[in-house]
Amino acid sequence: MMDTHIVTFIEGNRVSLIPINFNHLDLYIKWENNPKVRRYSRNSLPFTKEVYKKHLESLQKKIPEDIPFEIFLKKDEMPIGICELSEIDWINQVSNVGILIGEIDYWGNDYCTEVIRLLIKYAFEELNLQKLKYVAFSPNKASLRCAEKAGFTHEATLMNEMYIDGIYYNSIFYTLFKKDWIKTR
Amino acid sequence: MEERKEEEIFIFIEGDKIDLLAGHAKWADLTCKWMNDPKVRHYSRNPWPRSLEEVKKWFEPSTSDNGTRDFIVFTIYHKKDKKPIGTVGLNRINWLSRNANIFATIGYPEYWGQGIAGEAAELIIKYGFEELNLHKVFSGVFDPNKRSLRTAEKLGFIKEGVSVQDMYVDGKYVDVHKFYLLKEDWLKKQQTKEQ
Repeated sequence: MMDTHIVTFIEGNRVSLIPINFNHLDLYIKWENNPKVRRYSRNSLPFTKEVYKKHLESLQKKIPEDIPFEIFLKKDEMPIGICELSEIDWINQVSNVGILIGEIDYWGNDYCTEVIRLLIKYAFEELNLQKLKYVAFSPNKASLRCAEKAGFTHEATLMNEMYIDGIYYNSIFYTLFKKDWIKTR
Repeated sequence: MEERKEEEIFIFIEGDKIDLLAGHAKWADLTCKWMNDPKVRHYSRNPWPRSLEEVKKWFEPSTSDNGTRDFIVFTIYHKKDKKPIGTVGLNRINWLSRNANIFATIGYPEYWGQGIAGEAAELIIKYGFEELNLHKVFSGVFDPNKRSLRTAEKLGFIKEGVSVQDMYVDGKYVDVHKFYLLKEDWLKKQQTKEQ
């Protein structure tokens, strides 16, 4: 299934961000539908290949407001997940950061933090955005830790926003401003 | 000039002599007239004949309206005479580098020389800097267009350079003067105005 030709868009240390590949739709829906993965990505509806393809196609605009990438693990030469800048607001220069590591065997290696750092640099230095947002729900401790390690700080907690396995959990909103990020460079 | 009934308008940006409105398909015939009028199109540099059918299509929703736009156009509405008299807007909006080209066309020569294009440009500049959060606006004026050169300077635009023989006008290649205005300079000018 793997293509030999990899188009790197952003090169990291252990991972690279490469353009979404429509030949990998099976892989993407495998991740999105996986019970363990989707518990954290909060995807409660089944994704068919066709629906997912349409979704990705809908993001292709002259001025994109959602920029998804495949996360490519350099050492094993394989995609392990997807990440994105989403809901980019070009007037106010604000965007969401989202990440999903779909290969469960690769969890716990802190690839997430590196991916977020790559997205931050891209958002601030290439796209000239001024604020990034990151949302996770309270029991997703690994996700929250990643955001903190990448420099995000807590902005707000919204109560009982996520219904997970029969219980309401809070949504935790993290923020990173370009002006603060520059100082840490 | 054609008689038009007074019509209901929805102001988007309020000015002094003029208001800026969202375009409306009912004015397609006017837009078509401005596009084709020899005197007007000489300055707006429209080299193609435009049919009314074609112009009507511009007012139909298209996929480019879906999401962030790189082209924003308003109809200039004359307050006293109660009628649309031209268009003004921003195109080539670059949301990364945060700049845009500013353009304005007054569709009737009898309204030229009254500072209307200047007022329309002023409203658009304010809109670009204060609402769209742009960093720089720019404009190009071809050499014999004395009126636009004067307007650009009056608005505080600074000459950035000259593109040599950049436009073909009336059988000759002419130079285009490139003007720019930075938000920071514009803000300073607004402050001195207030004092």
